[in-house]
Amino acid sequence: MVPLVIETQGLSKVFGSQRALDGVDLKVGPGSIGLLGPNGAGKSTFMKCLLQLLPITSGSAKLLGREVGLEGREIRKRVGYTPEQDCHIPGMVGCEYVTYCAQLCGLPFRAARQRAHELLDFAGMGQERYRKIDTYSTGMKQRLKLAQAIVHDPEIVFLDEPTNGLDPKGQKQILELVHSLWHTYKITVVVSSHLLNDVDQICEQIIIIARGRVLVHDTLENLKARRRGAAEVVVAERHQELRAACEQRLWPCEVLPNGHVKVEHRCDSLNPLLNLLHELKLAPLELIPSPNALEETFVQALEISHAAA
Amino acid sequence: MPLHDISYKHWDGVHLGLWSRRLVIARNSLTACLRNRWMRHLVVLCWVAALGMTALLFMIGQLLVADSIVVRWVGNFNPGLQTFARMLTTWLEQHPEISVSTTQNLLFYFFGIYQIRVAIFALGMAIPMLITRDLASNAIIIYSSKAVSRGDYLLGKFAAAFGLLILTWLGPICAAWFMGNLLAPDWRFFWHSRAALGHMLVFGLIAMTILSLLAMGVSACASKEKSTTGLWYTWWIVGGVVAPIALHTQPWLRHLSFNFNFEQIALGVFRLGDDLNTARENIPVFGDMLRQIRPQTMEALTSPALAGAVIASLLMIAAAILVLHKRVRPE
Repeated sequence: MVPLVIETQGLSKVFGSQRALDGVDLKVGPGSIGLLGPNGAGKSTFMKCLLQLLPITSGSAKLLGREVGLEGREIRKRVGYTPEQDCHIPGMVGCEYVTYCAQLCGLPFRAARQRAHELLDFAGMGQERYRKIDTYSTGMKQRLKLAQAIVHDPEIVFLDEPTNGLDPKGQKQILELVHSLWHTYKITVVVSSHLLNDVDQICEQIIIIARGRVLVHDTLENLKARRRGAAEVVVAERHQELRAACEQRLWPCEVLPNGHVKVEHRCDSLNPLLNLLHELKLAPLELIPSPNALEETFVQALEISHAAA
Repeated sequence: MPLHDISYKHWDGVHLGLWSRRLVIARNSLTACLRNRWMRHLVVLCWVAALGMTALLFMIGQLLVADSIVVRWVGNFNPGLQTFARMLTTWLEQHPEISVSTTQNLLFYFFGIYQIRVAIFALGMAIPMLITRDLASNAIIIYSSKAVSRGDYLLGKFAAAFGLLILTWLGPICAAWFMGNLLAPDWRFFWHSRAALGHMLVFGLIAMTILSLLAMGVSACASKEKSTTGLWYTWWIVGGVVAPIALHTQPWLRHLSFNFNFEQIALGVFRLGDDLNTARENIPVFGDMLRQIRPQTMEALTSPALAGAVIASLLMIAAAILVLHKRVRPE
C-alpha cells in the first residue's frame, strides 16, 4: 500500500469571524497534486497549516506520516515550500541565498554550496546567480524560489502559485520544471493555483477547494472522463423538430436563448446524439459536449466564491 | 545546450545538528552587520581602544615597580618626584593585593562603562540587520519553512547581537586585560587582577544578555529600518538626558535609561565603593586625595540602586520578549 503524504481530519482554520478552512478531510498519496480554487478559497491557508506557518484551529493533520504540530522541524527538513509572495533575504546574492537555505535545513556548507549551484542550474539560472536578489526580475525570483525549495532534496514540495507574474514563456518553463519533479525525480509536488490550465498540464491528482471546503479530490484522468452526458447542438433551423425527437427518446431538451438546443442524452459518448441527427438528416453547425467534471467543479468553485463575495 | 549535467540529483548526506543551524543564522546576521563599512570601522576603533587600555595598564604596571622605565623617565624631569615614586612603588610592591587588584578593578569598571557606549552605538547600527529586514522582506516565512523553529531563529539572532557586543565591547576589554598583564613587570599581575577580570566578565555577560534582548525587541518593533534605528537611539539619548534630571525629581524615572541601569549593575558587580575605601585607608598620599571625594558621591558608589536596576531591566526584557512573541511570526 502506498503511504499517504497528506492526511487531514476535520482540519479547520479560523481568522476572526472568517472560516478559511472548514473541516477538510483528505487522504492524499504521492504524486503531482494540483490544489485548485479561486482566490481566497483557502489553498494557501491549507498549505501553511500543513507547514505549521499557521496554527491549526481544530482538527488534525499528518504530513509524510508525521503529526503536524508535534514534529515541526523533522517535517520541514523533508519538505520544500515556495511562498506566493517575494520573501528573500535582502542584500544577498542568488547563490548565497540558496546556499543559506540549504544550511538552514542542515546541509554542511560545502554540500550546501554545491547543491545551490546544481539547483540554480536546474532552475535555469545562469550568471545572474551572482547578482543581488533585489535586482532580479519576477521570473528570476520564481526560479530562485523553486531552487531554494528543493535545494535540500525534500520528499514533498509545496508550490504556491508558482507561475504568478510570469510571461507565457516563463510559465511554460516553470511548469516543465515542476512537472519533471514528480515524473522524473519522484518528488511529490503540491501546486496551488487558481489557473485551471496550469494544473491541467502538470498534475495527476486534483483537489478543488472553495470557501475552505474540498469540493472534489480525484485523479485528473477520472475527472476528465466524467461528464454529465449532455451537449449543446447548434443548428440553423428545425429547432422544434429536434426538440420533439429528443423528447420522444425521453432526453430532456430545451432551446436556449442563444438558439442552441441543449440535450441531456445521459450517455458517455456523443454517438447516440449523432445517430439521431443523422436520422433526422439534420446537419449541425456545431456540437458542444458538456464540460467535464474538472471544468464543471472548477466553475462551481468560482460560483461559490463569487456568491460569497 | 549546457556543457554540464543540469539534471536534478538527490542528496543522501548526513544532516547537521540543530546547533549548527542556529550558528548559521547567527553567522549570517553577524556577517550582514559587518558588511556595513561604518560598522567595520567601529569594530576597528574598539580594538584600537583596547590597545589604548593596554598602554594604560602597562604604564600603571610600570609605576608599581622600583626602577621601572616610567620611574626613570619621571626622574629625568624631577629627581624629587623620582624619590617619591620610588617610595610609593616600594609600598605598592609590598601590598600587591591592594595595588594591582584595586587599581585594575577600578580601571576595568571605567573601561566597561565607557566602552559600553560604543557597543550600544554599534548595536544601533546593527538593529535593522537583526529582525527588521526579515520582517520587511517576509524572510520570516522562509526561515519558518526550513528545519528551524521560531525559537531557533531568535536564538540565532540573539547570538548575532551577542557576538557583535563581544567584538565591540567585551572582546577588546578582555584582550586589554590579557595584554596589559602580559606586559606587566611581574607574572603575579595575572593572579592579582583575576577579580577585575571576573567582575568584568560577570558584568559583561549580564549587560550583553540584556542589551541583546532589548536590541532584538526594538528590531522587531517595526519593519522600517529607520524606525527601529531611530527608536533605539532615541531611547538611549532620552534615557541619558532624563536620568540625571530625574535624580532630583522622580528617582525611579532614572531606570527608564538602560544605560543608567547598567551603571548601577556595574557598581554592584565591581563593588567600587569597597575598593575606594580600601584605597583611602591604605594607599599613602593617594589615599588622602581619595578622602576628598564628596560623601554623596561615595554614597552613590557604595550603595547603588541595584534592586531598581534589576527590576527595570527585567521589565524591559519582558517587554522585548512580548514584542518578539507578537511580531516574529510568519503571518
